[in-house]
Amino acid sequence: MSDLKAEAEAFLIAEARLLDAGRFDEWLALFAEDGFYWVPAMPGQSDPFNHISIFYEDKSVLAMRVRRLGHPRAYAALPMTRTAHMIGSITAEPGAAPGIDLACRSTVMMADFRAGAGEGRADRRLWAGQQSHRLRRTPEGLKIVLKRVDLIDCDAAHGVLSVPI
Amino acid sequence: MPDSIIDTQTLRSLVRPDGVHRRLYTDPAIFEIEMERIFGRCWLFLAHESQVRDPGDFFRTRLAREDVIVTRGRDGAVRALVNRCTHRGAQICSAERGNTAGFACPYHAWTFGLDGTLNSVPHRQSLPPDFDIKDPRFALVRVPRVESYRGFVFGSLAAAGESLSDFLGPMRSVLDNLVDRAPEGEIEQAGGIARQEYRGNWKFHHENANDTLHPSFVHESSVATARADKRDFDAPAYDEHQTHTQMMSNGFSVREWQSLALTGYTSGHTYMGGFYKSGVLAPGRADPISQEYRSRLVAQHGEEKTNAILGEDRFNNLFYPNISVNAQYQQIRIVQPLAVDRTRVVVMCFRLKGAPDGIFHRAVRFLTNLNSPASMILADDVEIFERCQSGLSNPAPEWLDHSRGLATDRDRGGGRFESTGISELPHRLQYGAWLRYMADAA
Repeated sequence: MSDLKAEAEAFLIAEARLLDAGRFDEWLALFAEDGFYWVPAMPGQSDPFNHISIFYEDKSVLAMRVRRLGHPRAYAALPMTRTAHMIGSITAEPGAAPGIDLACRSTVMMADFRAGAGEGRADRRLWAGQQSHRLRRTPEGLKIVLKRVDLIDCDAAHGVLSVPI
Repeated sequence: MPDSIIDTQTLRSLVRPDGVHRRLYTDPAIFEIEMERIFGRCWLFLAHESQVRDPGDFFRTRLAREDVIVTRGRDGAVRALVNRCTHRGAQICSAERGNTAGFACPYHAWTFGLDGTLNSVPHRQSLPPDFDIKDPRFALVRVPRVESYRGFVFGSLAAAGESLSDFLGPMRSVLDNLVDRAPEGEIEQAGGIARQEYRGNWKFHHENANDTLHPSFVHESSVATARADKRDFDAPAYDEHQTHTQMMSNGFSVREWQSLALTGYTSGHTYMGGFYKSGVLAPGRADPISQEYRSRLVAQHGEEKTNAILGEDRFNNLFYPNISVNAQYQQIRIVQPLAVDRTRVVVMCFRLKGAPDGIFHRAVRFLTNLNSPASMILADDVEIFERCQSGLSNPAPEWLDHSRGLATDRDRGGGRFESTGISELPHRLQYGAWLRYMADAA
């Protein structure tokens, strides 16, 4: 395995573990100050301004999302969603744009489940898609400049998704 | 109409001035009657004309429980056809939208025109000699009535009944206002369509949308989060700080909600005043995009009319049974009942022709912030709808209360009622309409 791919894989696995553990503050800290998190709502979407997204958030909005999840009356997160990520088919290459040192692509699957949500509501779901990470090397380690997740059913009807993928 | 297993007297007994019976949310037999007598009779939103702009354009949607294709014929007429081949019943169209000369069934290639007429069948010689391809029973089933108001196309499954204009009533002005906000006097649907499903009854949506007491509780987490945010509002932001604004705006005090006007009609249609008082979405904003937009409207209409158009400060305008329009932010929501305990909410926004791009970007962001499955606002509403559905599976108590503000509703005559915020007037008007559709004309 190339050093680049090993580095990417270690980063992606560590990120997924933070999400699965609900350690959202630490997940947020993986983002560069100018970082964005984007989950498009259309296959192949190229523009987050002229078309809706599922998520299109800079670090400041993502920080609000993370803080809200910790609020004692964030009802959509009570009970908190449990997740299990599986990351595979990882490729990595040197970044091609200024400020991007590493670009990696992978396939993500995330199962989610809300324990105790009540009769008829305790079903397990599966989210799946391709993800791409544009990463920057910093003294504090790799930081996310853009994380984009293209779900296979991004334009379908969904129930609430209160945690990031 | 077939005999119902629930008689009229029983239906009447399920709604009182101060409450409704839990069966309205849980009984599949009631749902069946609602589909027949409310959704089978009302004018329901089908599409915006911009979605079928050119001859041959089609757009698929759901009308009550039917999968329908809205088409623009070569003759320019807009029609709505049931997506089911008249031969063996197969769905004939699997695309969501597009442009076509007609629809060919994938099974045995019966081919239909944009008006639903059967144009050709293969192997004619094997059919009986009296098989008439032009027999209306072989044409795709047409939605009996299709009418358009200011570009909004509605369909009714009832062959006869009140006109679209009468159905919309005084709330027509909401659609006027949405179109009038476009400097070129025309709007187009753009920016995608958001679809969300919840495990709850369809009526929860409209009950909640004009309920001005719930935000203080249901949306507390997003309000508190926005309040605690130490952002620099003068710094440029990719979203013009709009996400923050939308989270923050539910943070009215009870006194402020109390001062908000609630208005409604015996038709079941209701609306509430606007409550975005600061930030990028506040009326009368002086930022460069808002100013440029206003100046384009003034160039078209003059100061006075521009002030009237932009001065219409309303939030959710609810058409009974299932449309919510927000003209100010160019949004329309359609509530589609799927089953007694399952509902889909379809939401789209519009581009105001002649307005700066930045105005459309705000509408797109509004839609994402409020109606994405990851919304930090609607997620909590949906959670409550699902908790209500879950809670109502318990048989007792039998009644749900909606008496808040009952003593203060004011009858303005001509079927118009008013109240200040913190009243359940909209619920009462919605259930008055429910009862009329369900029991009166049965």
